[in-house]
Amino acid sequence: MTEKEKYRQICREAAATGIALLILIAFWLFAGFGLSGSTATIFHLPLWAAVSTVGVWIFAIVLVWVLTKFVFRDMDLEEERHG
Amino acid sequence: MAEIGSPAALLPLALFMAVMLGISFFVRWQARAGEGGFLRQYFVGNRDLGGFVLAMTTVATYSSVSSFVGGPGMAWSVGFGWIYMAVVQVTAVFLVLGIFGKRVALLARKFGAVTVVDILRRRFRSDALAAMAAFIIVLFFCATMTAQFVGGAKLFAAVTGYSYEAGLLLFGVAVIVYTAIGGFRAVAITDACCAIMMMIGIVLLFYHVLETGGGYGAIMDHIATHEPKMLEPFSSGAMPAGLYLTQWILVGICTIALPQSVVRGISYRDTKGLHRAMIIGTVVVGFMNIGINFTGILARGAMTGPVASYGGIDNIIPVTIVTVMPPTLIGLAIVGPIAASISTISSLLLVGSSAIVKDVYLHYRETQGKTTSDESLRRLSMAVTAVLGAGVFMISLTPPSLIWLINMFAFGGLETAFFWTLLLGLFWRRANRFGAFLSMGGGTLVYCLAQGLGFKIMGLHQITIGISLSLILFLVGSFLGEPEPKEVLQEFFPD
Repeated sequence: MTEKEKYRQICREAAATGIALLILIAFWLFAGFGLSGSTATIFHLPLWAAVSTVGVWIFAIVLVWVLTKFVFRDMDLEEERHG
Repeated sequence: MAEIGSPAALLPLALFMAVMLGISFFVRWQARAGEGGFLRQYFVGNRDLGGFVLAMTTVATYSSVSSFVGGPGMAWSVGFGWIYMAVVQVTAVFLVLGIFGKRVALLARKFGAVTVVDILRRRFRSDALAAMAAFIIVLFFCATMTAQFVGGAKLFAAVTGYSYEAGLLLFGVAVIVYTAIGGFRAVAITDACCAIMMMIGIVLLFYHVLETGGGYGAIMDHIATHEPKMLEPFSSGAMPAGLYLTQWILVGICTIALPQSVVRGISYRDTKGLHRAMIIGTVVVGFMNIGINFTGILARGAMTGPVASYGGIDNIIPVTIVTVMPPTLIGLAIVGPIAASISTISSLLLVGSSAIVKDVYLHYRETQGKTTSDESLRRLSMAVTAVLGAGVFMISLTPPSLIWLINMFAFGGLETAFFWTLLLGLFWRRANRFGAFLSMGGGTLVYCLAQGLGFKIMGLHQITIGISLSLILFLVGSFLGEPEPKEVLQEFFPD
């Protein structure tokens, strides 16, 4: 990658990380406040208490995995002069 | 309290600290072969961290002793709303590494930078801004480090029966010595050990809390019957919506700008490691936050009295440890929380020292046209680290009251100062010196004033004031002032 390409890729990755944050916040809202009316229980917990804690955690891990797998690219960190 | 003065309560911690010191001396001895300059070696570990250590050191630095003591104490009182709020911290690793990780890695290599302030100085061509940034870092870091020392030593005293001062001496001196001797590499590796000990500590306490409370089912039934509010997100008003909002800002989103986190972007070897660290770090930070706070809730089964009978929220976890752990394991149980404390101190100490040595002193020497030999840099860096540590240690011996508030106060101050300056500075061409100066100076000043006067808007934590005002000031300054010259922009935005 040239310096210019690296820069563009980094901006893309940063933007994607920001979008991932928004998706996570949406899921977090749904998992806690959204599900708090449900009377279902799972493993002795109200549904919201399970999904908004362990659920959010697992959701975040999957989200980061998707980011690093499909958006992030490996690049040489040392400077290349042809850019 | 455990049997007072039982050596068994002391041994695991003493052993652990000895291992930390050993690691530091080993790292030091290895570095003697020395490649790269001393500063790069000492302050960013020669940019050689792999993914696992990068993840662990980022998590360990971020997780403080209050995540282990005050936090789960609140969970005990409030219930699942507290975990729901704490889980926003799963963002703390992937956001900073995803947004700044590669950006600062490339810039640092380009300019030979070893600190975040180096990069800011270059971006805004301002020594005054760099000096202000260094000052803010040292000031707030000292506050945070004091809180960590005090928190760790209080827990030590409450659980082992030894004195507060004995605890401070035992782990405080060791952390200062191993940081001063080993530099960043030692900090990173010991941080990884600390993170592992924290996880072991959580599992250990979790197990014994369940055991004492009569099993998971019984504890949850007890909570459902006696404390149904612990199963509601708002906990009958104990968890207002505003608290959720400010926690997202304070311990979630804005943590990307904490200099002690951002500097980790300068320290890793390659992008494969960075990507791995984002995943590992998210796994670990979630495990810790959910694990320890869940343990706090389950402690309800063992600790059924009102909060006053335990002497307040901050005493819940120390009393829980003493109540549920078999006496032989008490010594081991405190290693986790102490590890949380020292892993934060070591990183702050080093970044604080780099602010003084590199960002202030060495820069001044350079403007005078003087060069400094690697040997004198080595002596100076170690001395500054040790003196800074010793200063904080002395303050901690006679701790100021309200120390827990100081911790969060410092978090908010650093975020107010650095969030927009870094985010806009590194990703927005139009960002200029005037905007950065107004934002960092004005925002931080108003934030401190609002904290000092207890002024809040809609009852929200002052971070909301700090972060909004610093944005406004940044934009105003950037549109009023001149854009940075083309050659600077070309360096930062090759587009």
